[in-house]
Amino acid sequence: MRQQTSDKKWFDQLVIELRLRQEHGSAIGDTVASARELLGDTGQQAEEAFGPARDYAAALELPSAPRNDWVRDALWPSLLGLLAFLLFNQAVVSWTRSELLLVSPAQLALLATPVVLVAFLPLYLDAVIRRIWVCIGISGICALAGILSAFAAPDDRAEAWLAIDPVPWLIGSALVMVALSVRNTARSSLSTDDEIIDPRSRTADTTGTGARVLVQVTNWLFPLLALVMLGLAVALR
Amino acid sequence: MEVSAADPRVAAGIEWPSDWLRATLGFLALRALSAGPSYGYAIISELERHGFGTIKGGTLYPLLTRYETAGLVTTEWRAGEGGPGRKYFALTDQGRSELTRLGGDWERFVETSVQYLDPARSTEGTSA
Repeated sequence: MRQQTSDKKWFDQLVIELRLRQEHGSAIGDTVASARELLGDTGQQAEEAFGPARDYAAALELPSAPRNDWVRDALWPSLLGLLAFLLFNQAVVSWTRSELLLVSPAQLALLATPVVLVAFLPLYLDAVIRRIWVCIGISGICALAGILSAFAAPDDRAEAWLAIDPVPWLIGSALVMVALSVRNTARSSLSTDDEIIDPRSRTADTTGTGARVLVQVTNWLFPLLALVMLGLAVALR
Repeated sequence: MEVSAADPRVAAGIEWPSDWLRATLGFLALRALSAGPSYGYAIISELERHGFGTIKGGTLYPLLTRYETAGLVTTEWRAGEGGPGRKYFALTDQGRSELTRLGGDWERFVETSVQYLDPARSTEGTSA
């Protein structure tokens, strides 16, 4: 049982390392299946036969997808969604109070913090995945910036750097969030996703109902959170 | 056992320096495939049976993957007998040529080394 557990952990790490190296799903499936085949023959533990998963993934030198593919396909849309969500949050409070949307430079800088952190994610993605404290730290900074931005919001028009009608921003940001969610849902339902294929059965790694629901929740995360914010703003006005 | 600088090979009572195996494993693996397509464990067993020690999967598979990328071997998954399939590696014509070339080079290298290490033996061979 302990061997199975440690092997499962090793294979999970191997898949993560290969994904981080932008390997294709079919190549990852092949690597995993051939490693399992040898372990089945020798009875060895994965670590014993192949060494650390990270070193083995590097040693394979598999042909990989261009590194900027995920930036174009996943990071930029996520960044746009985050930006739209932050704009929505600012506009919705003003809209429910029938006030102008007032913005100060400090507030803008604090709101830009999570956007900048996400934009530079490719530079430190490995650290976020491998070290939980980096992930917690980045999340904490984003949350703190959001909270501080509420305190930095100007109380009246004289303090504001910008005073704008919130309705166009509210509608525009909502439309952007919904459009991105529809796009992500369409992409995740297409079979062209780079799934890990087991070469022995030519089937993709099966994902359960829970995982499929999680993917859809992730696709619609910003619109769902925006609805919660809208509800809170209406309730607390 | 793993091919590493700090871990010399042991085969048939002889310790092979790991550097030697690292240098030769490439064409030894090609040689193991010269009789026909084979799979990971069979290649490891073949090399072990011929006195090269136990090669680890973490050493063999990256090598074969590089050879596949270089066009020296092809791979094919075949259905297993009552079990999961096996990944078979087969030499291509290019791989066979590379084996012939590397094998010839290695023979010349060994001959040169022997002549240098034991000139008397080399002279005996010439005079005989």
